[in-house]
Amino acid sequence: MKRNILEKIIIAILVLYIVLPISMPIIFSFSKFWQGILPKGFTLEWYASIIKRPKNYSALMISLFVATMATLISLLISVPASYVVNRLKGRFGESLRNFINVLPMIFPPVIVGSALILSFSKPPFEFNGTLFMVIVAHTLLGFPYMFRNTLASFRTIDEVTLSQAAQSLGASLFQRFRYVILPNVMPGVTVGALLVFAISIGEFEVTSMVAGFTGQTLPLQLFQQIRNDMRVASAITAFLIYVSLLSFIGITLITSKARRS
Amino acid sequence: MRKINKEYLLILPFFIFLGFFELYPIFNLFVKGFFNDKGVFTLQYYKNIFTVDQYKVAVRNSLLFSTAASLFGGVFGTLVGYFISKLKGNTKNFLLSLYSLPLTLSGLVVAFAFIVLLGRNGVINQLIRMIFNLPKDFYINIYSWPGIVFVYGFFQIPLMTLTMAATFENLDKSLVEAGRNLGCTTIQTWKYVIIPSLAPGFISGLSIQFAGMLGAFGTVLALVGGEKNLLSIQIYFQTSESTYNLPQSAALSVTLILIIAVVLSILNAIEKSLKRS
Repeated sequence: MKRNILEKIIIAILVLYIVLPISMPIIFSFSKFWQGILPKGFTLEWYASIIKRPKNYSALMISLFVATMATLISLLISVPASYVVNRLKGRFGESLRNFINVLPMIFPPVIVGSALILSFSKPPFEFNGTLFMVIVAHTLLGFPYMFRNTLASFRTIDEVTLSQAAQSLGASLFQRFRYVILPNVMPGVTVGALLVFAISIGEFEVTSMVAGFTGQTLPLQLFQQIRNDMRVASAITAFLIYVSLLSFIGITLITSKARRS
Repeated sequence: MRKINKEYLLILPFFIFLGFFELYPIFNLFVKGFFNDKGVFTLQYYKNIFTVDQYKVAVRNSLLFSTAASLFGGVFGTLVGYFISKLKGNTKNFLLSLYSLPLTLSGLVVAFAFIVLLGRNGVINQLIRMIFNLPKDFYINIYSWPGIVFVYGFFQIPLMTLTMAATFENLDKSLVEAGRNLGCTTIQTWKYVIIPSLAPGFISGLSIQFAGMLGAFGTVLALVGGEKNLLSIQIYFQTSESTYNLPQSAALSVTLILIIAVVLSILNAIEKSLKRS
């Protein structure tokens, strides 16, 4: 009995450890005034300011655009690549997979940022400071997660056998992709896409290095607002948390569904 | 046979993208650190790292900070992972999902959350001052090194928790029982059975933590600006602030990559030797 209570207390502490910090910006964003221990009043004003202030609104749109593009590019390069890697036999396929897994570790965001600036600041490749550079940077940080999840899907459905069956029925490569492979790897691809999108929406470090004036994303606005106006900052922070929460709920639903079937 | 080979071309877009936007730029880092603005070969930028205080301190701080943060995350993450792996059903799944949430959160979000919670006039600091009747200038300081390590724990502990929960899950219970049946004491079981089978997971968890911490700077920057000197922050300043100095940032970046590579290979070697024994 005593053990049971102790267990419940530990569970409560573990839940609070995550929930307490991330609930702070959310409570802050709905309150009129928070100087003392408890917040006062209820308002949606700070959220409205994201839409009303041109700078914040354009940052929101840029963030959504960049995240969408980064997700699409990750998808376009990762899905065909994992199709091939899944079929590669022997050492090469294995070492390629390991390489992509350590990539984010050995080349962290700050390195990706400085390498991009160094290489693309002069003609003929003068991408630095453009929106394109921001999208590329986000893709670089996100695609390993897409690749990992897609490849795992290819492995669990035993794509090679499925494809052989389809091939023996006369399906072309395109038909196989469209009717056999994609529907089956969809859960992994979706999990990857949600991760890339969530990472991109919140990315600050590389963005602040390569963005310049054209790529002012929401986190860059947030960074300025933390110093200037905590209330607007709270609404932006809360919005970023909602995006993470939504993608995380999506991922949980997909993986638990996959586990059950 | 030829038909299969043609399908392998599907990997090309991936290689082109990776090669042009990641491998070529990184290769560039290794080259450009040896040439000054006029294109003359020099070792000055690497010499600076060993002689200029600003960089020496940055390297030292980065090593100390990453070690402290990975150990903090490593120890607590292992404990939490062990606890969660013992739970059953929905509670366990819920906690595991909850602990994967911080992985996608922006560093700025976490900085903001902790400023509201534990900043100078944060909720918890006000509460503590009120309950214990402390003077106005007393507060738990998240702007100090230990404070920053604690804040980064919000990323590090969950990361380690997920790794270790899986490791504990895979711990072969029959192996533990076999040990007991052969008359092992509890200490012997831990020493010869449990720890050797947990160690590889623990070490690979530590590697992820350490590498991640060496490159981290978003949360630090949001909390204290440039006040705390880290290698990652030096690289950031050399590329984007008024102190723009690209060859120096290349040399610093290469240093960071080399440190990560050395630490990862040491940990990897330890992991392998543990697996063998």
